[in-house]
Amino acid sequence: MFLRLLFESFRRQKRRKSVALLAIALGMSIATAMIAVGTDIGDKISQELRSLGANLVITPIDDTLDVNIGGVNLKPASEGASIPESDLVKIKGIFWGHNIKGYAPFLSNEETFSGKNGSFKADLIGTYFAQTLKYGKEQFSTGVRTVNPWWTVEGQWPQDYAEWPMWPTPDIATATPDVLAGGKLAATFHIATGDQIEVGGWRLRISGILSTGGAEDQAIVAPLHIAQTILGLPNAVQRVTVSALTKPEDAFARKDPDKLSPAMRDRWYCSPYANSIAYQIREVLPNARVEQVRQVEQNQGKVLSRVSGLMLLLTLAALLAAALAVSAAMAATILERRQEVGLMKSLGASNMAVAALFLTEAGFLAVAGGLAGFVAGTFLAHRIGHSIFGSSIIVHPVVLAVVIVAALLVTFLGSAGAVRKAMRFDPAVVLRGDA
Amino acid sequence: MSRHQLLLRLLFKAAWVRKDRALTALISVAVVATIATAALTIYSDLEGKLSREFRGFGANVVVTKASGPLTGDELIPINQVVEGRGEVVPVAYAIGTERRSGIRVVVGGADLDKLRRLNPAWSVTQLNQGSALVGARVAEKLSPGGDWQIAFGSAVTSVHPGAIFHSGSDDDSRIYLPLTDFEKLTNTQPSTALIRLEGRPDEIQVAVSALMISFPELEAKPVRQITQAQAAVVGKTRSVVLAASAIVVVLIMLCMVATFTSSVLERRRDFAVMKALGASNRAVNSFFAAEAALLALAGAVAGYVLGSGIAFWIGKANFDAAIPPQPLLLLPVLLGSVLLALIASTAPLKLLQQIQPAAILRGE
Repeated sequence: MFLRLLFESFRRQKRRKSVALLAIALGMSIATAMIAVGTDIGDKISQELRSLGANLVITPIDDTLDVNIGGVNLKPASEGASIPESDLVKIKGIFWGHNIKGYAPFLSNEETFSGKNGSFKADLIGTYFAQTLKYGKEQFSTGVRTVNPWWTVEGQWPQDYAEWPMWPTPDIATATPDVLAGGKLAATFHIATGDQIEVGGWRLRISGILSTGGAEDQAIVAPLHIAQTILGLPNAVQRVTVSALTKPEDAFARKDPDKLSPAMRDRWYCSPYANSIAYQIREVLPNARVEQVRQVEQNQGKVLSRVSGLMLLLTLAALLAAALAVSAAMAATILERRQEVGLMKSLGASNMAVAALFLTEAGFLAVAGGLAGFVAGTFLAHRIGHSIFGSSIIVHPVVLAVVIVAALLVTFLGSAGAVRKAMRFDPAVVLRGDA
Repeated sequence: MSRHQLLLRLLFKAAWVRKDRALTALISVAVVATIATAALTIYSDLEGKLSREFRGFGANVVVTKASGPLTGDELIPINQVVEGRGEVVPVAYAIGTERRSGIRVVVGGADLDKLRRLNPAWSVTQLNQGSALVGARVAEKLSPGGDWQIAFGSAVTSVHPGAIFHSGSDDDSRIYLPLTDFEKLTNTQPSTALIRLEGRPDEIQVAVSALMISFPELEAKPVRQITQAQAAVVGKTRSVVLAASAIVVVLIMLCMVATFTSSVLERRRDFAVMKALGASNRAVNSFFAAEAALLALAGAVAGYVLGSGIAFWIGKANFDAAIPPQPLLLLPVLLGSVLLALIASTAPLKLLQQIQPAAILRGE
């Protein structure tokens, strides 16, 4: 009998049921989309903030002080200490290796170049552009193109040369490696793409004009292995900048790990703080000094927490609004069914039986609407991810459970009030149509 | 009783007798108005609020002069551009040599308080001995704590570190002295000005180009990674907020329309009785429309107030600065809600008009 009532109610009141279903589905797609976007926004903005560049910098521990004014390096490369380039891949092997988005080594020295318009002095900077490297079995590519995304080149990025020391010393007479000329330097000395310049017996071809807004605008930037060969400093780098995904610093992050209890130390070590990643890099590169680029590291967490906080609050507001809208829709459809309640009660149905029928109906609607809403919401979240961030927003399967439970809760709340109200009237009055 | 009085009475009785029905309709309109107001208010103020968060990144524009120091004629207009929304720190540099160790070190002269305000991210350890601001690597390399004899050519000064800072940049290899001491010692005036300009990315760009045009011999360079990151983060966050709000508002609007339409359809008996008593289609239409408009108006006003309140509170909670209500939004929100309610309530009447009142009353 109960089942038949339920079935007939769905069969005969298609319009009412579809309005309720639509309302629930709409509300739940809001919930799905907002939860998905709200939980994923942190990662997405974190990726955007990587365009600030490196947040860690590695220098040799016994290096002399940098002598650098207005971007001009006045310290000869031979003077300071260096880090062996071949050790750098170990950075990928640290506990938080997967959070290392990339690193770029630098080696620079002032050199005298001769071009077609005479000779000039400028820094020769060697770095990775997009060097292919191997750590264990993993092959990856890293360099300034990922670490310093604001560097732009008019022309072609030069080719990197094979990993040290596999690279055979090239023939000075025949090889003309590609390099970049800084924009300001190129303007001052009329260097154009395709020109050849000479330094220390080497001929270099300008493959593009580099613009960075920094010191590199007045330098010649070459693949690291070319610069090492020209400067006669094989396997040497002076500075490495590392771009890592980190967790914003808190009071715990500032603790000295060597003074913590073993359990706390493990917790510190296994959190992706800039400090713990720096600590782990120091473990694999014992002669290096690893410092956070505080300007980047200290501020990105703040920006990140503001954006995530905003989305969280907006999500809450949207969820509340969706819940209210769905409740109101459910209440509206049930309020119109007083006559049914009156009829059932006058035929001897108990309050329990009436409530059971209405709530079961609501349960079915909630599950169906929740499912439909989840599908639609997932689609919307995907669209937002692709159109704004160019990468998809993953909707965690847990959200489905959350959405169904939320749908049940909201529809029950909306219906329960209305059912109770409907039952309070005298059946006779309701049936007469006076209520 | 005149026609108008009758209509008014009908309107209020209709709402009063079925309070629940009126209330659910009111709530659904209010929800739409609330969420639309809150989302739009936040969106309109988001760029400014988020841009403020980029203050801590330090200088975002560097002005340099190719030859010679920056003159007062040049610094005054720079100060005017930045006035009240940032910081200008003129800096002079020279290379000194520590006498005992023979180590070469870059020494800068600047207003040290301003410099520290410009770089809130530096971690500074106060020593309270002298006045110099010393980079962490300098402090490590030179005999720690001691007085250093720094020579610039023939001029020698003893430097007492007043504070040691970590920055993670080239500054770690530098010593900063108060500008007046530095000028006396080295006879060098600032040729660089570090500037932090607060504002939206496009405002910063405009200010930089204005400076470049009025002083061609100066070079004003935005610190590209900071301005680019700011533009990216602010732009994308705005887009996300807009897209998410649009979805939420449209879906909730649909939800409200469904509720509204359904409740009008439930009233087909009212409709049939009116028609049977001789009301014209127009009269019935305008009656239902007036009722919907009144409900929507009340709901929209409540929603505007509530939505502004939510936006205000979100600003306070998240950005530590309230987001003020936008009076300009009131009219669109009111009009939009009323229009929506009118459409939602009169569209189903068209359907009912095709049916004979008698058929409805018989319950067919």
